[in-house]
Amino acid sequence: MSVTQLDRRHLFGAPVRKKILDEVRAYLQTAGPIGKLVSISIGGSAEVSVYIRNQARLAAELGIKFDQQCWDSNISQDTCKARIQDMNDSSGVLGVILQRPLPEHINVRSLQSAIHPLKDVEGMNPASIGNIVYSDIALVPCTAAASIEMIKATKLNLEGLEVVMIGHSEIVGRPVAMMLMAEGATVTVCHHMTRSVAMHSRRADVVLVAVGSPHLVGAEMIKPGAAVIDIGINQIRNDDGTTKVVGDVDTAAVTEVAGWVTPVPGGVGPVTVAILMRNAVVAHQRQQKNGWL
Amino acid sequence: MAANIIDGKAFAAKVRAKIATNVSTLKMEHGVVPGLAVVLVGEDPASQVYVRSKGKQTIEVGMNSVEHKLHENTSEDILLALIDDLNKDDAVHGILVQLPLPKQLNEALVINRIAPEKDVDGFHIANVGLLGTGQKSMVPCTPLGCLLMLRDYHGTLSGKSAVVVGRSNIVGKPMAQLLLNDSCTVTIAHSRTKELQEVVKQADIVVAAVGRPEMLTGEWIKPGATVIDVGINRVDAADGKTKLVGDVDYESCAKVAGAITPVPGGVGPMTIACLLANTVTACCRINNIPEFEGFSS
Repeated sequence: MSVTQLDRRHLFGAPVRKKILDEVRAYLQTAGPIGKLVSISIGGSAEVSVYIRNQARLAAELGIKFDQQCWDSNISQDTCKARIQDMNDSSGVLGVILQRPLPEHINVRSLQSAIHPLKDVEGMNPASIGNIVYSDIALVPCTAAASIEMIKATKLNLEGLEVVMIGHSEIVGRPVAMMLMAEGATVTVCHHMTRSVAMHSRRADVVLVAVGSPHLVGAEMIKPGAAVIDIGINQIRNDDGTTKVVGDVDTAAVTEVAGWVTPVPGGVGPVTVAILMRNAVVAHQRQQKNGWL
Repeated sequence: MAANIIDGKAFAAKVRAKIATNVSTLKMEHGVVPGLAVVLVGEDPASQVYVRSKGKQTIEVGMNSVEHKLHENTSEDILLALIDDLNKDDAVHGILVQLPLPKQLNEALVINRIAPEKDVDGFHIANVGLLGTGQKSMVPCTPLGCLLMLRDYHGTLSGKSAVVVGRSNIVGKPMAQLLLNDSCTVTIAHSRTKELQEVVKQADIVVAAVGRPEMLTGEWIKPGATVIDVGINRVDAADGKTKLVGDVDYESCAKVAGAITPVPGGVGPMTIACLLANTVTACCRINNIPEFEGFSS
């Protein structure tokens, strides 16, 4: 098979991202300033800062104020909570982003719960997840929502679609399963205790994978023509000592079998930040609807 | 070979006996008595039966039972004010608002007014989200009952392939979350699922909660699988009377399955037992007392 034919099977994030951002821009044009996003990092680490830079750059491009706060690594849980509660009360704050990882003495879940559900632009508050389970899809975890946008880009009809989600993390696997189910798909969630992942994945019209294991999904696990959404991001070392980023899918092999496969990098990743900005818009709409603004 | 019958009635009695022991431990060692408040609005006859039976079983295990019966035309403000009072009442550890509510009342608003730690039905949006992310939460009673029966029968569920048929908020969705938490490979099938029969046939564990009388027949079941029937449907019987059947065709499935719950006498009795279990769990959590083992996810 020629290279161009294979390339055509690659499902890139850029057009999906562009479409989402066009919608965000259109909204901002009519709505005017929508307040600021506050990014909280505690202690600070290089790993996180790439993400924050991407978020800050995109917010700047869109004209959304992005307040990058870096709190001292020794800050107490109570102080964090009090500061977040102030942000909940402040009408100038549109949304709050809690950058992970956090120092060990900080209870992440308790801080996520402290962010008001209407300002929870990362979709991490239990109430936000609860709404997803109840099929009220508003503020959604960004990576999960980005993965679903990638499936939609294939134009496959989600209703009745057989989907296998490999990985059952609270940030990706579980919300993806719930959101796809709400759209009428039949979802199977596999994970490290699943006896034969291949037995399930070979039946599926769509396979998503988010486990953090390079090349976990090979061609033999995929039904011919299926869509494969690779959510993994792994840094691996080349023979010459340099490093590169790969997903959880053996992309070269799977491309021979699949109908679509998202590359890493350049697949789901670029869409994730766009979803964060779309969440900012959704938060603004919901806050207005609730008479906050 | 005939399937083992999972006797929900007997198992529920065992669970209640254990709860009674736990309740007396709480009294003697901690000086607290778990209290359950049930709120009933209107005169729905089925709801009245449920509420009576809940109250009776609550008292039987040694807990306090409070019933609030409100008029059919009760306004939202009055109901919300009652819930606020119960939220503040230290003697009340569990609050249950009997559903369905009369039309003038917004169910979601009312349920989400209950303090999440006292939400023994597990329907508060925060509890739904906590369960959905594998965190400690209050768990809806019917799926919790199914889980306890499955654990009792199998020991560990880890690695088993489970199919939940039906995606309701009350049963299907929380059931799937619970099975995931116990490390099953979980498929949620529903009315839009293509080749439903084939999907069900792969499962080691089938939980049927669709509300369609005797929809799953023996051909749907993998030999040796465990079948949990959550359905309760009243259908016409041959003698002109009516009878209760599940979502599973018991006779044909029992010939293929390894184990099966009957209807009635399977999942049904476990639901109230789990309501009592949830009230004890809530009481422990509220009072910072270590929880008793085996009654939560």
